[in-house]
Amino acid sequence: MLTPRQLYETVLRMRLLEEGVGVAVQTGEIHGEMHLGIGQEMVSAVMGQYLQPRDALVSTHRPHLHALVKGVDPVQMLAELLERDGLNHGKGGHMHLFDPVASFMCTGIVGSGAPIAAGYALHRKLVAQGGLTVAVVGEGAMNQGAVFETMNLAAVLSLPMVFLCENNDYGISVPRRLSTAGQLVERGAGFGINGWECDGVDQRALDEAFSAAFADTRKHSRPTLIVAHVYRFRGHYEGDTDHYRPAEEKETAFRDRDPLLVARRDLVGAGWSDERIVALDGEIGREVSDWFEAARSLPFPDPSEARRGTFVDV
Amino acid sequence: MCESAGASDRRTGAHLVAAVLMEEMRRDEGIVVFGEDVGALGGVFGATRRLQREFGDTRVFDTPISETAFVGMAIGAAQAGLRPIVEIMFVDFIGVCFDQVLNQMAKNHYMSGGRVRVPLVMRTAVGSIGSAAQHSQVLSATFAHIPGIKVLFPATPGDLRGLLVAAIRSDDPVVFLEHKWLLKSRLVELPFNDADSPDSPVEPAAVGKVRRIRDGSDVTIIASGWMVQQAVVAARELETADISAGIVDIRSLVPLDREGLASEALRAPCALIVDEDFAGFGTTGEVMASIAERIPGEVRMARHALDVSQPAALVLEEQVVPSARSIALQAKRLLRA
Repeated sequence: MLTPRQLYETVLRMRLLEEGVGVAVQTGEIHGEMHLGIGQEMVSAVMGQYLQPRDALVSTHRPHLHALVKGVDPVQMLAELLERDGLNHGKGGHMHLFDPVASFMCTGIVGSGAPIAAGYALHRKLVAQGGLTVAVVGEGAMNQGAVFETMNLAAVLSLPMVFLCENNDYGISVPRRLSTAGQLVERGAGFGINGWECDGVDQRALDEAFSAAFADTRKHSRPTLIVAHVYRFRGHYEGDTDHYRPAEEKETAFRDRDPLLVARRDLVGAGWSDERIVALDGEIGREVSDWFEAARSLPFPDPSEARRGTFVDV
Repeated sequence: MCESAGASDRRTGAHLVAAVLMEEMRRDEGIVVFGEDVGALGGVFGATRRLQREFGDTRVFDTPISETAFVGMAIGAAQAGLRPIVEIMFVDFIGVCFDQVLNQMAKNHYMSGGRVRVPLVMRTAVGSIGSAAQHSQVLSATFAHIPGIKVLFPATPGDLRGLLVAAIRSDDPVVFLEHKWLLKSRLVELPFNDADSPDSPVEPAAVGKVRRIRDGSDVTIIASGWMVQQAVVAARELETADISAGIVDIRSLVPLDREGLASEALRAPCALIVDEDFAGFGTTGEVMASIAERIPGEVRMARHALDVSQPAALVLEEQVVPSARSIALQAKRLLRA
């Protein structure tokens, strides 16, 4: 399990990264759609301990936190987000980050990453044994056929893959009760897939789920499912009016389900003084602002890049 | 893998495909073959026959009827380093997995800034066999319209082998359209059979080059897939009416040999563009535009392609799908115009 300091540092890095990206949207530095993971940090922070370099991860339209823990270079990622000559030379942007070195990718189409994750898992089953693949989905994607087809296929082929469902209770504006029947974790059971459901701001519960599911998938080369309950602190996208969520619901969540506050509480519980925490905040703050500075120092993509790369050889 | 010499008469296009797959799988251990009924059955058209027996069920395996899942799996496996060959049994089924084709397979190389490659081949059976509008489509232009997918459409046994090898060795995603009549017909009975020695080692064909099948000075028939075979029969019929018809095989819709089309079209005053796909927003218009842009006003052109969905009954199908007879008729009409 991460120490209180490790957890706090990791969550804080993620928070500052996402907040900085949010500012870049407001100032017009980023002109595309933007989905931030503020409120969902602890899930990725805990998952990071269990990911190995040989594993692959296929993420969603809300991908930055997963990318960080999978080892994607934050400066390269930020440069891509800031529409510079970054990770993918300005052609992927925030929803389509591809890092073959870190075995990370994401897709902006809800649920469509799961089948691709199965392909990375097939590769691990056939030629890179021991590695696994994580398919991240939201609870909205759990109503996509692609996810069910992939669960069935992964079970039939005994693919080493972990389905991670980050359940933030809203598919854009539609609450889960209006879109989703039954219990999410039980959907794995129908395919014979072992599932764990946990509170996504409870470090111990997350740790139990990730350690058990990853161990099961690695040992038996078979799929598992984790459903982690989180709250999305921002609108679906930056600029979302977010009038569809009750104010009381948001206030309660901001108070009780903020991963950063929870991690800070644990730090205080471990005997950290305010002064030490402030010093640590300053340290992490400088680290993240250095990322932004380095990313902003990179050039914009060469205009000729737009017409390059439809094919490998044309 | 080789059939006895006495049995070679019975060889069909499906045998050629299976032999190429066999040869390429021996050459490259990264190749895996999966799809519906490709394992024990060897494909509904027999194009993967004996592969599972030869290479085992880890490299050749059946999937559930879940095109989205297994096409996506092929994309991910290709990006991870394998070279998957997937079969979409009938091209008509592409609708159920179109996101994987449109937004993933086609786009990931470009969106990654060239950092991931998607070396996969999607083999799929196309064309009218009397099975109506959900089992007789070609849909070549549907794929060709999407940037990032190569679309190969062999018309002859030689290309069925050579273009398939080229597709397998390509580092880009390739949709490989196998016409059902080419898969099912005995090669010796084809109007145009260029498979002299089907057991010879196969070389990759050049991708993106048209091929002149027949010389002609009155009209050039430009076609792809089974329509090329039909055009060969039509040209013979036209010859009896003293009309000299040349034939150009498009072979590769993406990349399209636009320069080659224009220079071939210059060889006769008229060009008839024939397609078994739908006419609207399709290959016929693209070919005509490519020619018109390069040699404006030089060649009189007409097109002959489907303007409705494929009906089931033969008498109706014959009304809709171009055939040797209708191609000859359209060529005569163009010459009279």
